[in-house]
Amino acid sequence: MSDEVKSPNYWKSLNELANNENYKNFAHREFPEGATELKDEVSRRSFLRVMGASVALAGFASCRRPVQKILPYTRQPEDIVPGKPLYYASAMPFQGGLTGLVIENNEGRPTKIEGNELHPSSQGSTNKYNQAAMLQMYDPDRSRHVIKDGERSSYEDFLAFCKEHFADTNRSIAFVSEANSSPTYSRIKDQALATFSNARWVTYEPFGEDYVLEGSNIAFGRRLRPVKHFDNASVIVSFDDDFLQVSGDPDSVRNTKLFTRGRRVTSTEDDMSTFYSIESTFTLTGSNADNRLRLKSSEIELFVYALAAQLGTRLNGLSAFSAYSNKFSGHQWIETLAEELLANQGASILTAGRDHKPEVHATVAAINYALGNAGTTVTYHELPFIEDQNNREALKNLAEDLNSGAIDTVVMVGTNPVFTAPADLNFADALQKASQVITLSEYVDETSRVSNWHVNRAHFLEAWGDGYSYTGTRSVIQPQIQPLFSGISEIEFLNTIVTGEQTSGYDLVRQTWQSYYPSNFQNQWETVLHDGVDTTGHFPAAKVALSGRFSTEASRFISQATESEGMELVIRPDSTIFDGRFANNGWLQELPDPMTKITWDNVAMMSKKTADELGIKAYGVGTKNETNLISIKTGDTEVEVPAWIVPGHADDSITVTVGYGREGIGRVANGMGVNTYPLRTTATMLYTTDVEVTNTGRIYEVACTQDHHSMEGRSILRNATLEEYRENPDFSTYKSAYEAQLPGQAYANERGHDDPLSIFDAITKEDYPDYEPQWGMAIDLNACVGCGTCTIACQAENNIPVVGKREVSRGREMHWLRVDRYYEGDVDNPRALHQPIPCMQCELAPCEQVCPVAATTHSDDGINQMTYNRCIGTRYCNNNCPYKVRRFNFFNYSREFLTDGSDPEIVQMAMNPDVSIRFRGVMEKCTYCVQRVNRAKIQAQIDSNGETKKPEEGAVQTACQQACPADAIYFGDLTNENSEIVQIKKNNRNYLLLEELNTRPRTSYLAELRNPNPKLA
Amino acid sequence: MSTDYKYVPDPALVKGDHTFGSITDLIARIPLSPTPKMWYLAFGISNILLIALLGTVGYLIWEGTGIWGLNSPAGWGWAIVNFVWWVGIGHAGTLISAILFLFRQGWRTAINRFAEAMTIFAVMCAGLFPAIHVGRIWVVYWMFPIPNQMAMWPNFSSPLLWDVFAVTTYFTVSLLFWYVGLVPDFATLRDKAKSRAAKISYGIASLGWTGSFRNWWNYEKAYMILAGLATPLVLSVHTIVSFDFAVSVVPGWHSTIFPPYFVAGAIYSGFAMVLTLMIIARKIYGMEDIMNIDIMEKMNIVMMATGQLVAFAYFIEGFVAWYSGYIYEQGIFWLYVTGPYSWGFWILMFCNVVTPQFLWSKKIRRNIALTFVISILVNIGMWFERFMIVVASLSTDFLPSSWDYFSPTFWDVMTYVGTFGLFFTLFLLFLRFLPMIAIAEVKGVMPQANPHNYDDETKEFVDTKSEPVKVQQQTV
Repeated sequence: MSDEVKSPNYWKSLNELANNENYKNFAHREFPEGATELKDEVSRRSFLRVMGASVALAGFASCRRPVQKILPYTRQPEDIVPGKPLYYASAMPFQGGLTGLVIENNEGRPTKIEGNELHPSSQGSTNKYNQAAMLQMYDPDRSRHVIKDGERSSYEDFLAFCKEHFADTNRSIAFVSEANSSPTYSRIKDQALATFSNARWVTYEPFGEDYVLEGSNIAFGRRLRPVKHFDNASVIVSFDDDFLQVSGDPDSVRNTKLFTRGRRVTSTEDDMSTFYSIESTFTLTGSNADNRLRLKSSEIELFVYALAAQLGTRLNGLSAFSAYSNKFSGHQWIETLAEELLANQGASILTAGRDHKPEVHATVAAINYALGNAGTTVTYHELPFIEDQNNREALKNLAEDLNSGAIDTVVMVGTNPVFTAPADLNFADALQKASQVITLSEYVDETSRVSNWHVNRAHFLEAWGDGYSYTGTRSVIQPQIQPLFSGISEIEFLNTIVTGEQTSGYDLVRQTWQSYYPSNFQNQWETVLHDGVDTTGHFPAAKVALSGRFSTEASRFISQATESEGMELVIRPDSTIFDGRFANNGWLQELPDPMTKITWDNVAMMSKKTADELGIKAYGVGTKNETNLISIKTGDTEVEVPAWIVPGHADDSITVTVGYGREGIGRVANGMGVNTYPLRTTATMLYTTDVEVTNTGRIYEVACTQDHHSMEGRSILRNATLEEYRENPDFSTYKSAYEAQLPGQAYANERGHDDPLSIFDAITKEDYPDYEPQWGMAIDLNACVGCGTCTIACQAENNIPVVGKREVSRGREMHWLRVDRYYEGDVDNPRALHQPIPCMQCELAPCEQVCPVAATTHSDDGINQMTYNRCIGTRYCNNNCPYKVRRFNFFNYSREFLTDGSDPEIVQMAMNPDVSIRFRGVMEKCTYCVQRVNRAKIQAQIDSNGETKKPEEGAVQTACQQACPADAIYFGDLTNENSEIVQIKKNNRNYLLLEELNTRPRTSYLAELRNPNPKLA
Repeated sequence: MSTDYKYVPDPALVKGDHTFGSITDLIARIPLSPTPKMWYLAFGISNILLIALLGTVGYLIWEGTGIWGLNSPAGWGWAIVNFVWWVGIGHAGTLISAILFLFRQGWRTAINRFAEAMTIFAVMCAGLFPAIHVGRIWVVYWMFPIPNQMAMWPNFSSPLLWDVFAVTTYFTVSLLFWYVGLVPDFATLRDKAKSRAAKISYGIASLGWTGSFRNWWNYEKAYMILAGLATPLVLSVHTIVSFDFAVSVVPGWHSTIFPPYFVAGAIYSGFAMVLTLMIIARKIYGMEDIMNIDIMEKMNIVMMATGQLVAFAYFIEGFVAWYSGYIYEQGIFWLYVTGPYSWGFWILMFCNVVTPQFLWSKKIRRNIALTFVISILVNIGMWFERFMIVVASLSTDFLPSSWDYFSPTFWDVMTYVGTFGLFFTLFLLFLRFLPMIAIAEVKGVMPQANPHNYDDETKEFVDTKSEPVKVQQQTV
């Protein structure tokens, strides 16, 4: 397995990579080889002396630890100072979009991914897939070879095959590709379609934007991508759209940023948007709604038409709907929504879940247009890289043609239709009819196994590439490291097929970009590489108008819409492993689902009422998360999935997520969860009402990180409506929350203090610390959407091991930063609230008090630090931590995580060299990213010639803060009166968690606000 | 009206027609006669359990504390439950030997040796747990204030450190106390032993005891001083063990009632354990005359009294939870009663609160079979009390999001069962090779030992076999 990587060719600079003569000469002059070698001749005497000493010392060798050689740089590469990371701009392509990134490199290996502040799609933040991509690249289970008919082959053989096979340009070839926004890719694609006269191109994404584009085609006559500007909207209506999660919308980072921007409240004068969510599954996005209506996905179509009908009488363009009525006409929600939308024309957004029918999207687009939102809150953009076809239809046709034997060769690029294609297409069997099937994929996946050729793909961190962001900003993807398993990128692969030549990705990308910069290319190219973004290119907003045939189309489809009864099954991408492509990523597998808090499994989500009807045994503390397996049957397909009650799910509706139940992929993905793709057909991409559900009564254990979902009347996550906040701006104080005086208040008053626990009292009065800086954090719960990106960012930054399903189900997950989710209100229709919990860094830390060996102590700058080497593992600190943020290495998790398999050094390369790997038997916890803090303090000391260790405002960002797409986390120096953190902590929504314990947390929260419409309450 | 009081002597502490010689023979014959077959059987079983313990601890050190059912809120589980339980059991011995000695309770002599041995072995079992429950056992010595190259002292504000000092001190003093009491008896065994090996070993252990006046003088002084030293320790050790909990912030732990409550509970369980062991041993070794029903009744009364104290403490916990208005304390109390571990709470309530109420009846107090059952139930109840405190409190603390359920694994059970192997191995060795009743001391409470056995009132020597004098009230 590992012989391919025995001498990996890691390079540290482009010169070294190129290894040209000039560089060699330069390096030789700088560091003459052999300069320090012993020049003396070896005489017989000296030989005997050395030998004698060696023999005498040989016996001691057994007393020593095994020798572990470290190798210094014999030739110091340019730009590298050992211990100082370098940052390169790059971008992560995902689903026809791309997120601009900055990648931290330590001694030539990428270790951490951050958002690129210059890039409009990330604006410095990331989503969870961006964060986890690092581990994905270092996954030792990725494919390492070209495989021909199940036998190991080589790239040279593949090249030879391509030369011969594709020399016949009249072959009937079908290209099936993932959605890829790369202009280079599009260029080679066009070249391919021009070269091969009998070729066709199908872009297949199991959860792509096809139906959105089709919807726009119906409404506007063009396939346009809607881009939402939530910050401009005061009314947001979502139909089943999970736009705050990357699994629901690849533009989630931008969406989250704008959504929270429109809801940021700093004083009682500020306003916030009202968000209405109508959905079946209780999605993360729905949990952030001000008003939420539970509605079966199969009924949302009717609901949308009824809303269009309600608006149709008042707005131009919706006349086709005006006479329409169905069971939702006159529904309280329809009337209220219509009223609100009409009052906010041009300042509202309607959006529908990606896999809803094109007709639903068409209607939503038409309503947006009619309300005047198009162009203001929603802009529509033409995509240069998409085919002018309905790709889902195209895939269906392809399967038919394959079955009829009309296709000779199938080329698959980065897509895995055997696993993900709708079950009725029977793609695996269809592929058998083609004479040659060629697949480029990262893993030897389901499709690769039925292919004649499998080519191992390079990860985006290993290869040159480019692409457009969701909103059309061009970026170049720079490789950070040589391909670990000598894979090739999709552009190199496609180019090999089209030209039969081997051209490097670098040249291919440059070739494309030369056309953008006809003059002064090198300069502009270097600027793009440096900034990671080309500010000149973006998709201009299209001027849209309802197409002439929309009315006829609408009249047709509304008349065809039928009401359905009974149970429905909803199929969605998984919030952590998406369509299954991240199934072998331990960080994502172990990231709790934001709503269910389940790791390592997919479950059938349903409401309490539905579960009762099915006789599902309820879960909770004391049952160890055991649940019943239910059998879901659609047509002839039957799948058994563990049932899970999600309060707030629509009744008579069951949601399953896909991507699990894979085999032969890798040691993380194999055997985890259930493959639910067989339930999905071309007709039922989102939901089906032809479903039979029965309880098998069998028991299945699920690894859930949160057993208890109620706050038990404790004021943990303080929240209020905007109106309540305006009435009582101090609603989040202890006094308001409990209607009682804070313990210690009277004593504090006697001593002349206003408030016994305020950090600011301490800092501004006699307890002012004699050391600067003093660190503090604030988490704005009003901004936080609960996505969990912070958890992964923390895991990546702090070398937190993956522990596996068994350990998680025993309550031993290691995440330093967890996101708690509570339900509030009615069990059928509750509100869900999210609260990230890092270490509170208490000034009076209960953990420090009880450690018998002083392994956890307070630093001068107010960080509650953990000395791993001193810890003996009594776990007393964890017992005494009221927030339970400490994590214990019950086993040697890091060793299991980092030395598993035949070549452990690969995963080890993902580790942050600034953070110790923790051994078995020690406690660990959030440190406010002390390695980043200390780096900044050292820099401040250098910059000030040793005058101060106080970094400037903004010099330190914690990993969670930096990754957070909602900008919900603030961190900084409390002794800096003008710093953002001090201003934030002065906000009247600021409160301390479990303040009555007098632990004086340095981490505080800003209470959450909602802006519900009282008419729907 | 006047009452004529008569001198009412206590019932004889040693039953049967015993002389000093017969007492010596009765007790000393056991270590000096050949080993009974049943002993080998019992010792074999204990050894198997001991080996299981060693294997479990070995595996624990090899794999890590993850082999137990611990999780994130419940960082402590059975190990600490067992620690507190065994330490509690270890309370009876020193209480009986030291406090009752100072209070001149002659009946203690029937059981003090036995109870002290139990104490020492129980503390050994207890001491095992804090050592092995840590994550990195190879650096557990950092808990001790040993000068070292890191120039690091332990954290003196940690109750866990106080625990280390309290338990080691208690163990040392108990061991010394026990050994000092054993010295005259070692000499007796040395003098009576036939085999050379026994003569030499008992001889060395008896520290050259000759039975001279000076020996006795020194012995009595040493014994008195040690009793004085041990007395505060009886109260302090469990007080400090309770600090592990009381000093923390965890609801259900953070409570000022813990020190007296723990001490009462410890005495309660200690007496129960002494009774359990004694009821078996007296039968097998024919010690019914010394460890007789009167002694057992007295112990039952102590058990009943401490049982009421413990019950009162439970009541106060509930009362304080309500009265304090502290929602977390209220929450945890309510969760004890109705939460995921309520089964444990109700077992505890039955065993610790209901069971001792039966002891109000003299008939039951003097019924050996029922006493045995009650003593076992009390021990079970006291284990569950610690289980509720340690596990239930931790599992459901401040933030409901981190609540989790603790389930023991096979290895949790094995570590607990294994300590019985350690305990019984040592205890059986004690029964086999050492005098299980303090020969010298028990003689001291026999009538023959009273130099003033001439009764002034009756103008005759007190007959050791005489019936107790009936109390008669006379009205003039």
